[in-house]
Amino acid sequence: MNKLVISAASAVTDADLATAKMGSRFGRMDLLSQLALLSVESLGIEFQTMDCSRIGVCMSVCAGSLATDIQYWKGQREVCGPSPTLFAYTLPSSAIGEIAIRYRLTGPNLCFVGSDAVLIPEARDLIERNEADGCICVACNVITAAASELIGIPPKAQARAAFLMRGANGFALAENHRDMESVCALACAGEFARNSAR
Amino acid sequence: MCVSTNELKEKIIESLRLQDVTPEQIEDEAPLFGTGLGLDSIDALELVVMLEKHYGIVIKDIEEGRPAFRSVRTLAEFIEAKQPAK
Repeated sequence: MNKLVISAASAVTDADLATAKMGSRFGRMDLLSQLALLSVESLGIEFQTMDCSRIGVCMSVCAGSLATDIQYWKGQREVCGPSPTLFAYTLPSSAIGEIAIRYRLTGPNLCFVGSDAVLIPEARDLIERNEADGCICVACNVITAAASELIGIPPKAQARAAFLMRGANGFALAENHRDMESVCALACAGEFARNSAR
Repeated sequence: MCVSTNELKEKIIESLRLQDVTPEQIEDEAPLFGTGLGLDSIDALELVVMLEKHYGIVIKDIEEGRPAFRSVRTLAEFIEAKQPAK
């Protein structure tokens, strides 16, 4: 049986959103969903060529939907109340829904609030239990200024994505590749080495 | 007050935060939901809020609003019929 590899990895920040061409509905999403979706799009994988019922999504969100929750509650003071659209994003896992809709994925999904260290092991587990052939891992760190004030963590807006699957084409995971930063670094280093060899 | 369909399209684009869509691309008679502009149920709620915020029209019964949300044209006619005479 083929080993588990990372076939692609990506990292995006809010600076990348301005130039993103993601369709007319992208604008209504909250920052977390936009970054999550853009990071998956940046993987450059054609998911429609795969069995979409066998592709899972594992996502971690460092502060849940806190940034959007604050925005929503501030909206209570506005005329006619907060945006109904915003309410849909007060669920930390809503970005998984956006990813599933865009790529028509119907495989299993998991959402974790907190560290991204669980992502790769959980994705690996999904594949090894034969619940999925591949798994998109997305780690989102969205701390707006208002959220930062509340929880004392510096503001941040970034997402990292990686696609874990069985195969020969990709970067083999080692035991120390547990968090998304090291996985993305592995993929970047591998890409660099591959491009340098050409 | 006569409601301009162009102005209404701008308000729809703004309230639904539609990216890369211009008023010219939205046809007066095209369906707002499903085909056409492809809006969904959350967009419907957003449009209800937009009607209240910009035109002072409160839709209490969704059945009342359903025919109005067929197209930009029907929505403009609905606003015109509902707005108090000035």
